[in-house]
Amino acid sequence: MKFNSWFFSSFLVSFIVLIPIITVFASFFESTSNYYEILKNTFLFEYISNSLILLLSVLLLTFVIGTGAAYLVSFYKFPGSEFFKWSLILSFAVPPYIYAYSLTAFFENYGTAFTILKSLLGDANYNKNIPKFDGMFGVILSISFSLYAYVYILARASFLYQSQNLIDLGKNLGFSRFKSFYKVILPAARPAIVAGLSLVAMETLAEFGAVDFFSINTLTTGIYNSWIYFDDLAFANRISFFLLLFIFSLFILENLSRKRAKYHINSKGGFKQKEKIKLFGFDAYLAFVFCFFIFFVSFLFPLCQMLYWTVKFPENLFDLQITNLVLNTLYLVTLSSLVLIIFSLISNYGNRVSNNKFLNFLSTLSISGYAIPGVILAIAFITFIAWFDDSIIKSLGFSSIKKLFIGSIFGLVLVYFIRFYSLAFNGIKSGYEKMNISVDESAYLLGYSKRKTFTNIHIPFLRNSLLFIIILISLEIIRELPITLILRPFNFETFATTAYISASEDLLEAAAVPSLFLILIASLFIIVTSKYILRENNE
Amino acid sequence: MSKNFFEIKNVDFKVGNKVKVKNVSFSIEKEGEIICLLGPSGIGKTTILRTIAGLEKIDNGSIKLDGKTLSSEKINIEPENRNVSLAFQENSLFPHYTVKKNILLGSERNKGNKKKQINIEELIGLLDISQILNKYPHEISAGEAQRASLARSLITKPDLLLLDEPLSNVDQSFKEEIQEKLKKILTNLKITTIIVTHDSYEAFYLGSKCGIILNQELKQFDDPYNVYHLPNSVEVVNFLNRGILIPAEVTSPKSLESKDLGTITGNFVKPFPIGSNVKLLIQPEDLQHDDKSNLKLHVVDRKFRGTNFIYTLRASSNTLIPVFVHSHHIHQHEIDEKFGIKRPIHIDHIVCF
Repeated sequence: MKFNSWFFSSFLVSFIVLIPIITVFASFFESTSNYYEILKNTFLFEYISNSLILLLSVLLLTFVIGTGAAYLVSFYKFPGSEFFKWSLILSFAVPPYIYAYSLTAFFENYGTAFTILKSLLGDANYNKNIPKFDGMFGVILSISFSLYAYVYILARASFLYQSQNLIDLGKNLGFSRFKSFYKVILPAARPAIVAGLSLVAMETLAEFGAVDFFSINTLTTGIYNSWIYFDDLAFANRISFFLLLFIFSLFILENLSRKRAKYHINSKGGFKQKEKIKLFGFDAYLAFVFCFFIFFVSFLFPLCQMLYWTVKFPENLFDLQITNLVLNTLYLVTLSSLVLIIFSLISNYGNRVSNNKFLNFLSTLSISGYAIPGVILAIAFITFIAWFDDSIIKSLGFSSIKKLFIGSIFGLVLVYFIRFYSLAFNGIKSGYEKMNISVDESAYLLGYSKRKTFTNIHIPFLRNSLLFIIILISLEIIRELPITLILRPFNFETFATTAYISASEDLLEAAAVPSLFLILIASLFIIVTSKYILRENNE
Repeated sequence: MSKNFFEIKNVDFKVGNKVKVKNVSFSIEKEGEIICLLGPSGIGKTTILRTIAGLEKIDNGSIKLDGKTLSSEKINIEPENRNVSLAFQENSLFPHYTVKKNILLGSERNKGNKKKQINIEELIGLLDISQILNKYPHEISAGEAQRASLARSLITKPDLLLLDEPLSNVDQSFKEEIQEKLKKILTNLKITTIIVTHDSYEAFYLGSKCGIILNQELKQFDDPYNVYHLPNSVEVVNFLNRGILIPAEVTSPKSLESKDLGTITGNFVKPFPIGSNVKLLIQPEDLQHDDKSNLKLHVVDRKFRGTNFIYTLRASSNTLIPVFVHSHHIHQHEIDEKFGIKRPIHIDHIVCF
């Protein structure tokens, strides 16, 4: 094994990403305050059962919505099908916590629904007739309508790769349209759907904003509460341990299903492009209604609600320091993207030129950061820095380094790096996978050094992938809440934290403006990248 | 000191820790010579080329070019510093550049060195790729990609050119034309070349020498004529699929006796003691059709090959013997008919094992 610069840089990246996991596992054996005993006998069961109920319900709902919509737009032509194809991913622009604010704002007593009914039907007490979407049901809806796009995108990509031969085979065996769907199409797309559901599961277990807003006690909010209200980092880490075990089993499941997915992608040979079936009459109407309902509920509804409140309470628009928020967001996005891209390029290129199995293993470990909830990452990071500062830095006689890492841009970007490293790494990796290794070898044989091959051949080839990754990272950072909330410097706000703070102070009208901006900026990013996300070039 | 332009001495060719071809030695005497390496798929031919190009390392022996050691146990000149060009079998064009840009990247290597320059236009014309110059690699066929890749390798005018199955994806109808052009270009430019192929006719045409790689060894390295007519081992006979081996007894310095074919005369390539039992190589063109002969064998199969037929005949010991007959031959035999073999049988080069 060669201990060259590629090895050390990859090792360093992996080590940084593994810090939170090691911290959580190490903290499991530390003593905690009485709060642990109290909680263990009272709420711990509730945390676990709530997390499970939430997880299963969200999985069921995202499966139905995501797979159903993907099936319709992939196999059929109906009014609006071309529009729905990309517009159904706009729900990504609405994080679950903003969806939760919209849901409450619309259905609460004297809320938007009440105002609409009053203006249409006159004065009356409509409150008792308006359903209330709060509590567990509200959380399930908020997360499902925000995250179903994971299932939609992956299922659609898989449906897209299904050859007409497969459909013809079903017809040849005398299957009805429905039987073809569940006997042929669905099993072939199973790995992709499972991969999508695994992502949804990880995000659901990590979800903080919406769960906190509806006051549902889950493992994630338990971690946050034990840290913020009881100042018990050890206990926060102990709950994290349980949650991480749970997430790692999902992570393994997701990885396994992805490996299988490779076998389901058709090569060009023998692939026959599908002819979309044109729907008429009632069938076309039903398909349109289904897709429009999802698009309306997941995107238009929260957008309109936030827009309505922004117009209704314009003073909030002027109170908000929009320039500051935009600059702060831009600052975080630029810095994080730069760091992520540079390190991911180094790791990927190192893996490519050294072809070292140990380095590959390290890289696989280092992409696990995405599976760890932001809350755990942030708290584990604080725990580690506190330990490192107390046990090593101070004992060596140096002054404290806490301020450098906690409540600083540097610390914030470092934890973003851990969280989103897998996005950048995998994005570049998939770009590299499209380039045969003989391309590198050809360059060497044309007299190019390794550095020149990297700058003159690799970078131009990866240009589009890099652009896509930067936009994806930006989208994630704009929406990110718990890490920013916990680690941001004093008085440093983003659209997400401003919306959260207003909402947690019961000032939902004030939360509308930053939420609206967040949705609009995120939508813009999604529209720009929708071509990449949906892999239109393969269609 | 060795006078050979290129020389491989006692090298084990490996991929990782796995030895693909053991203890290989061969040389190219003069600059501008073309040699071909033949062998079945997966035997390690490509590994040899990759190692010569510097993409794989060696632990023993040495590889020398123009008196300079490229690879040995201690020396390993990096691929970019060898001026050895390798055209891969699969499409290795840079996917984000057009064919033209790909070829121009090749020309950058010897910029300023006028002796090393090749006229690009001429090369494009010779390889017939003018119509694909502005296309991207994914927009062209596998055969076109191979020709473009060949152009990129040639444009560098390397000290040594390595071609891995250069025409495997080229249409059959176009193959001979390209082979002729390729040979002309390489000869005119005096580019020393090692070509790997599994097509024996291609190797016999292009190479002044041919190496046969079988069972992890370089079995034979010789002129194409000798490889074809005087194979040095049973493995080479089987690989070239040139005929069958029948049992016979050496009866004199110039004759053998076979139970199936009777007396056979000719010149032994390698002498055997009188009375020894050997396996005699019978190639399809060694026997001649003659229905007046009293040596009659049963027709088991007949293959029409355009200019000729190849009859498969069953001898009394059940051995199947191939016989080559011109397709304009007057008398054609059907399956199960008797087929006469002209006697006495005389073979110019008697190959026995």
